[in-house]
Amino acid sequence: MNEFDLMVIGGGPGGYAAAIRASQLGLSVALAEKEALGGTCLNWGCIPTKSLLHSAELLRDLGDAAQLGINLGEVQFDLSVMVSESRRAAEKLSQGIQHLMKKNNVRIFAGDAVISAPGLVRVGEAEILADNIIVATGASPRRLGAIEPDGKLIWGAREAMTPGFLPERLLIVGAGAIGVEFASFYAALNSKVTLLEVAAQILPVEDSEIAELAATAFRAQGIEILTGCSLENLESIETVTALIDGEAREFDAVILSVGVQANLSGVGVDKLGLELIDGFIAVNEVQQTNLPGIYAIGDVTGAPCLAHKATHEAMIAAEKIAGLQPHPIQKKRIPGCTYSYPQIASIGLKEADLKGRPFKVGRFPLYANGKAVVSHQTDGLVKTLFDAESGELLGAHLIGEGVTELIHGFAIAIGLEATEESLIQTIFPHPTVSEAMHESVLNAFGRTLHL
Amino acid sequence: MPKEIYLVKVGMTMTEGMVSEWFIADGAEVIKGELLYALETEKINLDVDADASGTVRHSVETGINLAPGDVVGYIYEAGEAIPETSLTIAVTEPAVSIEAAPDAQAKPSAPLVAEVTQRLKSSPAARRLAGELKVDITALTGTGPAGRIVEADVLLASSGPGPVKASPLARRLAEQRGIDLSTVRGSGPGGRIVQADLDGLESRPAIKAAGTAGSAAQVIPMKGMRKTIAERMQQSLQNSAQLSMDMLAGMDDAVSMRTQLLKEWEGEARPTYTDFVVKATAKALRLHPQMNSVFAPTGITLLDEIHIGIAVAVAEGLLVPVIRNADQLSLKEIAVESARLASSAREGSLGLDDYAGGTFTLSALGMYGVDSFTPIINQPQSGILGINRIFDGLAWDQDRPIKTKQMNLSLTWDHRVIDGAPAAEFLATVVELISQPYRLLV
Repeated sequence: MNEFDLMVIGGGPGGYAAAIRASQLGLSVALAEKEALGGTCLNWGCIPTKSLLHSAELLRDLGDAAQLGINLGEVQFDLSVMVSESRRAAEKLSQGIQHLMKKNNVRIFAGDAVISAPGLVRVGEAEILADNIIVATGASPRRLGAIEPDGKLIWGAREAMTPGFLPERLLIVGAGAIGVEFASFYAALNSKVTLLEVAAQILPVEDSEIAELAATAFRAQGIEILTGCSLENLESIETVTALIDGEAREFDAVILSVGVQANLSGVGVDKLGLELIDGFIAVNEVQQTNLPGIYAIGDVTGAPCLAHKATHEAMIAAEKIAGLQPHPIQKKRIPGCTYSYPQIASIGLKEADLKGRPFKVGRFPLYANGKAVVSHQTDGLVKTLFDAESGELLGAHLIGEGVTELIHGFAIAIGLEATEESLIQTIFPHPTVSEAMHESVLNAFGRTLHL
Repeated sequence: MPKEIYLVKVGMTMTEGMVSEWFIADGAEVIKGELLYALETEKINLDVDADASGTVRHSVETGINLAPGDVVGYIYEAGEAIPETSLTIAVTEPAVSIEAAPDAQAKPSAPLVAEVTQRLKSSPAARRLAGELKVDITALTGTGPAGRIVEADVLLASSGPGPVKASPLARRLAEQRGIDLSTVRGSGPGGRIVQADLDGLESRPAIKAAGTAGSAAQVIPMKGMRKTIAERMQQSLQNSAQLSMDMLAGMDDAVSMRTQLLKEWEGEARPTYTDFVVKATAKALRLHPQMNSVFAPTGITLLDEIHIGIAVAVAEGLLVPVIRNADQLSLKEIAVESARLASSAREGSLGLDDYAGGTFTLSALGMYGVDSFTPIINQPQSGILGINRIFDGLAWDQDRPIKTKQMNLSLTWDHRVIDGAPAAEFLATVVELISQPYRLLV
């Protein structure tokens, strides 16, 4: 019999981070993972897709190189190398996690974990006693009614990031972050992409002004955008025939990216009586479930399904278990990033959330930013929202090249509860795109310099 | 040799005070007997006059809390060398607190500064900060190398805005809502006060109601009388086992007797109902000596003398002048003495001993229409009696209701000293005496 202070189920960015933190705090820790360490994020999400998108970005930049005085002749690409490179990156990082587990004395159990009872976990033949259990099993792509990926022409995210061929005509169902990232990737490789979204705007969780700018940019790249439309049927023979709002359209492949559902099957949830809300595990502010000694973190606890949210919740759970008093996560302070072209990054409230409350909005377009001009990346906007009375930074919404590397500045500001005064007083370096953040704040208070 | 100007000690209980105003400017001449500075203590404002003639040098600024006996300045007689610069500047330096250098107080000149500075190790930054935050650096214990006083020590000791950790947003919201951040518990990292800590506090500050909507909230500084009241009331509630009860007194006879006495004593005394209660209480305390006592963990001291304090509202707060030996005074004498104390209290001219030595307190809110309240004991006493409104109540004559003047008396007592039954007996005695007021005349 194996005994640990903590058993973590799932080795993604929530699970492995919880294991490391708990180990740092002196707990004996075990972790169960049925596939590769690093979870969806590292193996089948964030990391490999960013590798593919990096290839696409380079391809796009090289196509524009002549404008900057660099003549390359005809630029060619090899999709299979792009894919294998993305797999290599994922593999390398997963090995890194293995190393971290070893370094932190985290005992790894490979296989499906089942919670037999609070305090008792079974992984294959092994039985593990643990005072505390953290469920960090993540989420999987949600099914779209009866339509299922067949792995050939109808793809889920995994197939979409390991394509066997480059589809000439590609339908992407669902224009959330995953959908638009694939749209950007395949559009860069000259696929004719159709992006289908049932909601009224693409990127439904983003500020509608930003989403509209994104849609304009995508259309300029040749991406067809259908919003407010639903997919009624898919027939896959040699090509895929999609019935969209009664109209039959033909595609060479379809990517389904319509959200995620919690990975609960096999964990033993039903038998335990674990409380769920909308199919996700219900937790309190310190990640405790309704069952004593059982915690849950990350995607399995619901939206936003983001790796950094899982990692943060991991800290909270591990620290709570170790007897510390962690600060609860504040969901309005979780930034979100979409690595499409152009990129989108946001934090906090959207303009539409502020109905009936006095607020100030600042806008600064990247075409007025020096660094963006010299980089030929002038499509973009930094939008900031402030409470008119208190000066609280309520939200920040960015679109443009590189904005995913800027949003943390606003995340820090919101986290430290900076007011507009603190931001205006901050000196931003020149020449950088970050100056647009400063200008946006200035703009909200009628003090823009460069407009 | 210059003559020290001390912060005078007024009354036995004075622990701190401040120069609230200098009447003679720094460097100006004063003549013996002239008003020199205004003293403000927790209880009293007093003008202090000069006991020597000469040139005045201030060594403290106004508004700094000091202990009685501290030197606040010097008077230089004609012919004495007067330092060029005011010592006020030097208050940021440790040398000026004479307590730290009792042997050197006769020569507040440059050598003294050097001497004391040498003994008291502190970083220059700490001294500068202490000056800015008005912290007495000589009172601090250093945590730096070799006990050196460093900036952090000063920050910790300061009650100023420096050490309150709060986010910029929390600071702004607190300012807008008139919340004193020093009263808020921070839940953020490192105890930092964040926005969430202010949720639900919007109605906390009493000041907010006073301002018009949207106007800047004002902060009433915690000093002088307000500070004393705050501290003592809170301490009283925290340190004893207080509880209250009410009892109705029939007031028909008291009302008619007072009308009669007002005529009879015209030009000599104007007895108030409070005076009736003073007399009744003094008599009752004789019969129930446990209520006239002081609690200590080692035992309860029953007091021989009966001195009754009467809470008097003044603009700055509350004063409690004392009618001494109230049990030995006639109702008329009580009426005269209480009138004198009340008007002195409102004029701010109460003598030092007019406060001291109360053994039981009365608090009257009847004029505000109050029918019942739970007064807080003025420690170290064991009881306080609240006097309420006289109203038209009902009594029963057989089965017939009759209109009758009544008044509720609200007693708060310390259960550590007296249990409910004897406390009720005491209150019943007071009620009986008030209801049969002729007994107060004998």
